[in-house]
Amino acid sequence: MSRMLVLKHLLPSLFAITTLCQPLLAAEEWGDDSWGEEEESTPWHGFVELSAGARLDSDPVLPDEDLTLADMRAQLEIADYIGGNRYSLKADLYADGVEHGLHGELREALLDISPGQNLDLRIGQQILTWGTGDLLFINDMFPKDWVSYFSGRDDQYLKAPSASAKLSYYNEAANIDLVWTPLFTSDRFIDGERFSYFDAMSGQQTAQHLVPLDPEETPDNGELALRLHGTQAGTEWALYAYRGFWKQPNAMTAAGDAYFSRLNTYGASVRGNLGAGIANAELGWYEGEDHRGDDPRLPNDQLRLLVGYEQELVANLTAATQYYLEWIQDYSALTRTDGNSRFRPDEKRHVWTLRLTYRMMQDNLILSWFNYWSPSDEDMFLRPSVTYRFDDSTSLVTGANIFVGEKEHTFFGQFEDASSVYARLRYSF
Amino acid sequence: MSDLIRSLFLTAALAITPVVTSAQAADMTDVNEIVSQSNLAAYYKANDGRSEARMVITDGQGRKQTRQFTILRYDRDDGGDQDFLVAFSRPADVRNTVFMVAKHTTSDDDRWLYLPSLDLVKRISAGDKRTSFVGSHYFYEDVSGRNISEDEHTLVDTTDEHYVVDNTPKDPASVEFSEYRVWIDKANLLPVKIEYKDSAERLYRRVEVLEVKDVQGHPTVTKSRVSDLVSGGMTTMEFRFIKYDVGMDRSVFTERSLRKLPREWLKRPKS
Repeated sequence: MSRMLVLKHLLPSLFAITTLCQPLLAAEEWGDDSWGEEEESTPWHGFVELSAGARLDSDPVLPDEDLTLADMRAQLEIADYIGGNRYSLKADLYADGVEHGLHGELREALLDISPGQNLDLRIGQQILTWGTGDLLFINDMFPKDWVSYFSGRDDQYLKAPSASAKLSYYNEAANIDLVWTPLFTSDRFIDGERFSYFDAMSGQQTAQHLVPLDPEETPDNGELALRLHGTQAGTEWALYAYRGFWKQPNAMTAAGDAYFSRLNTYGASVRGNLGAGIANAELGWYEGEDHRGDDPRLPNDQLRLLVGYEQELVANLTAATQYYLEWIQDYSALTRTDGNSRFRPDEKRHVWTLRLTYRMMQDNLILSWFNYWSPSDEDMFLRPSVTYRFDDSTSLVTGANIFVGEKEHTFFGQFEDASSVYARLRYSF
Repeated sequence: MSDLIRSLFLTAALAITPVVTSAQAADMTDVNEIVSQSNLAAYYKANDGRSEARMVITDGQGRKQTRQFTILRYDRDDGGDQDFLVAFSRPADVRNTVFMVAKHTTSDDDRWLYLPSLDLVKRISAGDKRTSFVGSHYFYEDVSGRNISEDEHTLVDTTDEHYVVDNTPKDPASVEFSEYRVWIDKANLLPVKIEYKDSAERLYRRVEVLEVKDVQGHPTVTKSRVSDLVSGGMTTMEFRFIKYDVGMDRSVFTERSLRKLPREWLKRPKS
């Protein structure tokens, strides 16, 4: 479908559907005394959603792909208790007009068990998150879906599920979370299908489908993530460790195949009230296989750091900013061995983010701005959006994902032709 | 006959006199004592409590939204620090969202929001206390209670039914009002009406109690309303399935409960 066709037909039809639905979907009052049964009368919930997104400019290496998003999606969810144990199933079914086809995805299929008074075990397909960054991740090594994130899908799709077991131990002094993911689950990285990427080997933007070699499915190749955390006088602290692989295929075999190399990370974070707002700081040490940093086919070790601050400026308007640093270690070894690559990343990548959220009309209208800006890479990723709730069931989100860059190879700059606008209309039940 | 009438009157007068005397004796004159007692009656009943609540939010154009949630409360000290957990069940887009507050009387509150679809524990800054609570006309502070030491109180009237107290903020820059007046019911010390004025002395916001019921011997607000007198919008909140002294402890109010709802305390009590 051409971009113009989408803008001419699909978007107005989204509005038309919404307008038609209005009288039917008008929120009911509590007049019928519907406090619900003791156990919820229907444990089924979910939503149906129509979404469309179109590029602002065509991508020369993906000339037929004017759309970045064309989903017709249904999510169905059921959660209940069997005895004292809770289970939850959440599945998506969607027709994808960009990658063409009908897809199913199990977002959640988990069981909660408490083997002891201070022990929780959650096993199965689940979304996992920890760490203090806002759309920046240092110690959260759980899988992310960058394709969904770039295409304008709901924020919840940035987090991809993994089949894991999470054991939590709680105690007054400190809590422990241990997550075991037996089969390595990578990020859903930009692989050339929906969005093209810069290939440093050829020195060009490419849409060649990137199919990396996955780690062998052996017990030793499972992922382990550990968090020790607690709250002291209102300040949350945490220590983290991870043993697994880089979540993006940024290593290369001698034969030139991309793969996921080994990675261990260690880190710490704090978060608490500061002045009238919330401050957070997080540190992470990324230790890979290239200890001396002189193997150009392997990523070097990194130190990652972020500090953030959030505060309400006036009623209902919140501002948040973060500074983030990615510091490549053994940089001089890299410069000696990478064949004087023109596309060598800077030793220190600095990124600033800004978030502004303005809630209006009893939260029915939410204006949101988020941007990444890297003064070292000279690139930006801008994410404005407007959310409008027609009532308790129906909402429309419109927004844009805009990439700006001076250079063709930088983190965000390579995605300039992926810039898009999108709209999503959702009915929840 | 006249003797009989006289004796009846006398008896009646004798019967009434002690009541009147005790009511007069019960009249408090120390405004800080009144405000403190009222704060305890409104926010610190028993040692803990659970209640289901629902709101109808009506904006100035008459459009309605709803919210339904269960509140758990635990008092660390009477009149002192408290913990709250608010678990949303409706509408669909906020279902299973959890809001948690550790309310402190001598320092800033700690506040968290859990977003289940991202498994994300967000921290909310303490400065947003006079911001809309989930889109309603209630503020976060209306739900967990405003720290009484943040205002200067003046007893302006004692009527047959109410203590009328004016309150001005010690830090005017931290709030949107210049003063508010509270009507405190003398019988149960619950604040039953609050009216807020802005710096132009204009009345712009009203909180009123619409229904009070006895729950386990505690007079309890079961219906209240906040009106935005400028836009014409309002939010009505009802409470049901209230139970006090259910036996919670502080461990209920931790990150564990955000990620895994404490069903034992959230489920509706049998009696």
